[in-house]
Order: sequence, then C-alpha cells, then structure tokens
Amino acid sequence: MLSIKDLYAGIDGKTILQGLNLEVAPGEVHAIMGPNGSGKSTLSHVLAGRDGYEVTGGQVRFDGEDLLALATEERAHRGIFLGMQYPVELPGVNNMTFMREAMNANRRARGEPELDAVAFMKRVKEEARHLKLDEQLLKRNVNSGFSGGEKKRNEILQMAMLEPRLAILDETDSGLDIDALRVISDGVNALRTPDRSIILITHYQRLLEYIQPDHVHVLVGGRILRSGDKDLALELEEKGYGWIEEEAAA
Amino acid sequence: MSTLTEQRGWFSALASSSEPEQSGPEPDWLRNTRVLARDAIRELPVPNRKLEAWRYTSIEGLLQQEFTPAVEQGRTWTHEELEPWLGPAADVYRLVFVNGQCIPRLATGLELPTGVTLGSLRAALGTDPKLLATWLNHTGAHEEHLFSALNTALIHDGLLLHIAADVELDRPIEVVYLNLEQDKALLNQPRNLVVLEPGASATLVERFIGAEEAVYFHNQVTELVLQEGAELRHYRMQEESRASWHLASLYLSQDAHSRYQGTSLSFGGRWARTEYQARFQHEAAQCELNGLYTVGKGQLTDFHLDIRHSVPNCTSRERFKGILFGKGRAVFDGRILVEKQAQKSDAQLRNDNLMLVRDAEVDTKPQLEIHADDVQCSHGTTVGQLDPQQVFYLRSRGIDTDSARRMLCLGFAGEIIDTIEVPILREQAMERLTATIRTATETLE
Repeated sequence: MLSIKDLYAGIDGKTILQGLNLEVAPGEVHAIMGPNGSGKSTLSHVLAGRDGYEVTGGQVRFDGEDLLALATEERAHRGIFLGMQYPVELPGVNNMTFMREAMNANRRARGEPELDAVAFMKRVKEEARHLKLDEQLLKRNVNSGFSGGEKKRNEILQMAMLEPRLAILDETDSGLDIDALRVISDGVNALRTPDRSIILITHYQRLLEYIQPDHVHVLVGGRILRSGDKDLALELEEKGYGWIEEEAAA
Repeated sequence: MSTLTEQRGWFSALASSSEPEQSGPEPDWLRNTRVLARDAIRELPVPNRKLEAWRYTSIEGLLQQEFTPAVEQGRTWTHEELEPWLGPAADVYRLVFVNGQCIPRLATGLELPTGVTLGSLRAALGTDPKLLATWLNHTGAHEEHLFSALNTALIHDGLLLHIAADVELDRPIEVVYLNLEQDKALLNQPRNLVVLEPGASATLVERFIGAEEAVYFHNQVTELVLQEGAELRHYRMQEESRASWHLASLYLSQDAHSRYQGTSLSFGGRWARTEYQARFQHEAAQCELNGLYTVGKGQLTDFHLDIRHSVPNCTSRERFKGILFGKGRAVFDGRILVEKQAQKSDAQLRNDNLMLVRDAEVDTKPQLEIHADDVQCSHGTTVGQLDPQQVFYLRSRGIDTDSARRMLCLGFAGEIIDTIEVPILREQAMERLTATIRTATETLE
C-alpha cells in the first residue's frame, strides 16, 4: 500500500531524512520509534504534504501512485490521514461544520454523494461517545480551549469520521494521562480493519502496550536502523536508543 | 493639491447651492440652525492630514468631485425598479429612502405600537415640530466638523424614531437607503434622529445600498439619544457602490443605565468612513461597538471612534476586525478618554486585521487616555496573515486551499457577525461576506 524508497527530505536546506525505506501493507500497524530529532515528525509531514519540506531524493508510492506529486488535500482524498502532534486551534471555525466540510470535500473528490446533515450528526455524536469526547466540544470552535487530551481525542474523532486507508498518528500519546491513553488506544483499535493501515510515531513503548504493532522500526539520523516485532519496542524501553546507534556505527 | 480656501469653498458652495427652506415653510429654530451651520462652515477647520482625526484619510478625491444636493427627486421611482434592491420585509418595520429622501409608499409593517413615532423627518416638521425642536442637534453634531455642518445646513429629510418611555418594540426597524442615481453625482444627506425615552427598547437595522457604478456622496448624520435605562441594538450594513463616498457620523448620548449595542459592517464604497462619538451623561451606562470591514482594490475604509467616559461606572467595549485582500487601505482610529472623575470606568478596545495580500495597508491607532486612577481599561491591536499551520490543518483533512482560507476568514469575522441578533441580517451579512471572501481568495496565489 505504502512504499517508501530511499527517501531524502528536509527543511530550510537541512536534510533530515537520509535514505529512508519503509513498506506498509494493508491492515498492518507499524510503529516508528526514535530519539528526538531523528526525523519522525519530518516523515509524517512529508507524507502529508506540508509546505516547506523539500524532497531531494527517493520516492513514495501509495497504491502505486506517486504520492509526492499530489497536493496535500489530494492525499487526503486518496485516504491519507495525519493525526497531528500539536493540533492547531481554528478560531471561529465550528468543529462540527469543519468535520462536515472535510467529509464532504473527500466525498465530492471521490465522486460520492455528500452526507446529509442528519446522518452526519448522528454519526459524529456516536463516534464522540465512543471516544468519551464531551458533545459540547463538537459545538465549539475547532480545538479552541480544548485540553491536550481533548485535542488528541478530536484528532481520533476526525480519523473515525474520515475513515482513512492510511492513518499516520504523530505522537498521539504525548501529554496524555493513562486514562486518556486508554480511551484513545481503544478508539484507534476499534478503527483497525484488514485494509486500513496505521503508522504510529512515538517516543515511548507505553502506547504500544495498548495498540499492538505488527512491526516496530527504529529511526535514527533519518534512516531506519533496525526493524523488528513488538519485542523490539520492549528492548528499546529497557536499553534506550544508544546501543542501536553504536551497532550501526560499528 | 487645492488650497485651503478652495477646499472650504467646496463646502460653502454646496451649503448655499440649494435652499431647502424653499420647499415648505420652516419653523424659526430650523432656520436658525441652518444659519449657525453655515457660519460653522466658515469657521470649522477643513479636514486635512495635519488634523489628527484625518491624518490617514484624505478627502482630496472627494473635493475634486462636483455634487448636486439631492433635495427633490428628479423623477418617480417605480415599484419594479426598487423591489429588487429591497428583498423580503418579513417581520420588520421598514422605511425606505431613495437618494436621501423617504419614500412613504415603500414603508411596510408600519402599524406601530402606541408611543412609537417612526417615519420621515421632513414629514414630522409638519406633524410634530415640537419633537424635532426639542431633540434635533441635542448632541451638538452640527458643531463637530465640516461634514456634519454641511449636513445640518441642508437638513432636508431623514429618519425620525422616537419611542416613549417603557415601550419595547416587538420587531426590528429596518431602514434601507438606496442610492440609485446614475446620471449625475448626488449629495445624499439623510439626517437621522433617534430618541429612546426612559426604559424604551428597540432594534434598528440600517442598510446602505448603491447601484453599481453610481457616483454619489452619502453624508449622513445620526443623532442617538438614549435616556435612562433605554436599550438600543443598532446594526448597520454598508454596501455602497464602489464609485461612491460614504460618511456616517453617529453622535451617541447615553443617560444612566442605558445600553447601546452597535455593530457596523463596512463592505462597499471607494471611500467609506464611519465615526462614532459616544458621550456618557450619567453613571452605569454601557456602550458596545462592534465593527467589521473588508477592503479590496481601490477601497479606503475608515473607522473613527471617540468615546468619552466623563462620569463614573460606565462600560465601553469596542471590537473591530478587518480583512484586507486587495491593494486598498483601512484606517482604524479608536480613542477612549477617561476623565479624572470617571472612576470605575471599564473600557476595552480591540482592533484585529487580517491581511491576505502584501500590498494592502492598514493604519491602526487605538488610544487610551486615562486621567482617573481606579479604572479597568485595555487596548490592543493586531495585524497578521492567515496562519499557514491552520491552512495546512484544513488541507490535510481534504479541504482545498481556497476553501480553507475562506473558512478561516469567515471564522475570523464570525465573532463580529455573531453579535447581530437579527437572524435575517446575520444571514445577509454572511452571504455578502462569503461572496467577498470568495472573490478575494480566488485571486490569491
């Protein structure tokens, strides 16, 4: 589904990803771990098409299509979703209106009929309930005055509504207490299907106790230095990242 | 550039170019008022950029244009001609002015409750001269500046609204000013008087509409007197022709416990200036002013606030927002003066500007002058662009760039539109704003 080959990318003239390779098949959950500055967020931004990032080498294919040639919104239309590490506040933009606009923009792009208001309301309320997100937050402006946990829940709510084929969750666990982490993990697990893939970007093994990955990759210095199963995450938790860097250097 | 004498000449020539008193007998007080206003035109300073109040707003272009005062209608407008401009008059008391003059047959819903006088100021000269003699020029508007004096010298028609004590109007009043003359440049000068007696309450909507390409100068003076405990919600939507000049000078006088809530939306005009002068006469009055302006290519929009807290315990709130998207200019000059005896004043002034292009210009000058020592006052101003992070967030959810920018602009402006408590006007405003923003965002890179 997603195939990244020898990807070089960076920002402000600085190359951060240095020949990254990754293959994600339908239905798989991949965890990408790594120390600060290893390129985890750069990867998520490059995949989502954020302005300012420059790809200097390699390729990314999504269902065989050149992903990097598509505009940000076109990537969303193809089914790519980025759950942000720091979801921004949108003053004056109503949360419900925003989600409905987003859903309908995607449906229009795919040639599907728009969702009617009643059906939309019913669904969004149902999904919010699953995520234990206060219904009042749907009526507020997007993320405005939301707590850290509420913002992350709102991200997963959008994922649930947009039903992406590939969800990239960038440090969704950061800043969450244990209860919020459980709710969000349950939400993500409920969205696992045989044809939906998920990339979890995280610092800590903690999240992986709740969302079990099929593959774990260690990103250091813009490259994946080691891949394994979920046991690799436990090993990292125990030993840190240092030994992988040393092994690679040796 | 013309000389000061030439500039003053423009005002005097207009002020003496017609004799409104010829169109009917007038009471002595009105004749005297005109004489005083003509005297004032000889003496008041000519607005120019050396005066603080006119520092960023030039009237050169205006003074180069010749205007004919619209005293009598040169023609009769048919219902079919006017209807398309007016829209539905559901659930309002409507009054229509064409080129500055009230057209009584277009009024609708005027089965007014007892105690409410609503209609043409001209007509009231015949029917209710005492009311006018008591209140006209009560706020001293004619002494303020040349444009107000020009309006006063030629007082001809306007809105008269008087509400007796404790009467609450059940429906909003909608006043529509249509500026339609396209054959010659008219000077349209509605002179409005709004008096709410103690405990009275009303909602007043004003809409300013101009025919496309019509060249005119809409020079309006509105005096607003709110007596003790009176409440006025006053919404104004300006959609003048892009070839027009629009000056609205509002003089607000508030007694104890009165409440004024004003929202002004400025979309049209090549040169549009709105001035609020608010004076608190007694304690515990509240004044809330909200404003929204959009400025595109070749437009200048100016908001000028002069709020004076001269008695204790009054509250004023000013929130103005602007969206600039073409090579145009906006001016915001908001001044709050808190005098020494005005303890416990609560005044907050904000002006936020969203610049969608680099070559727009905004001159914003919020000023707080505080002479009392026990007050709560703040002021702030921002000039910013759309946040690329916000645009990215929306695009990452599948919303295209134009729509994303539009949503953010409407979100920015929404706070002001939401202060309008008349649903149909809120919809009309949203529609107009959406269309404006659509044009604006489509031309961005």
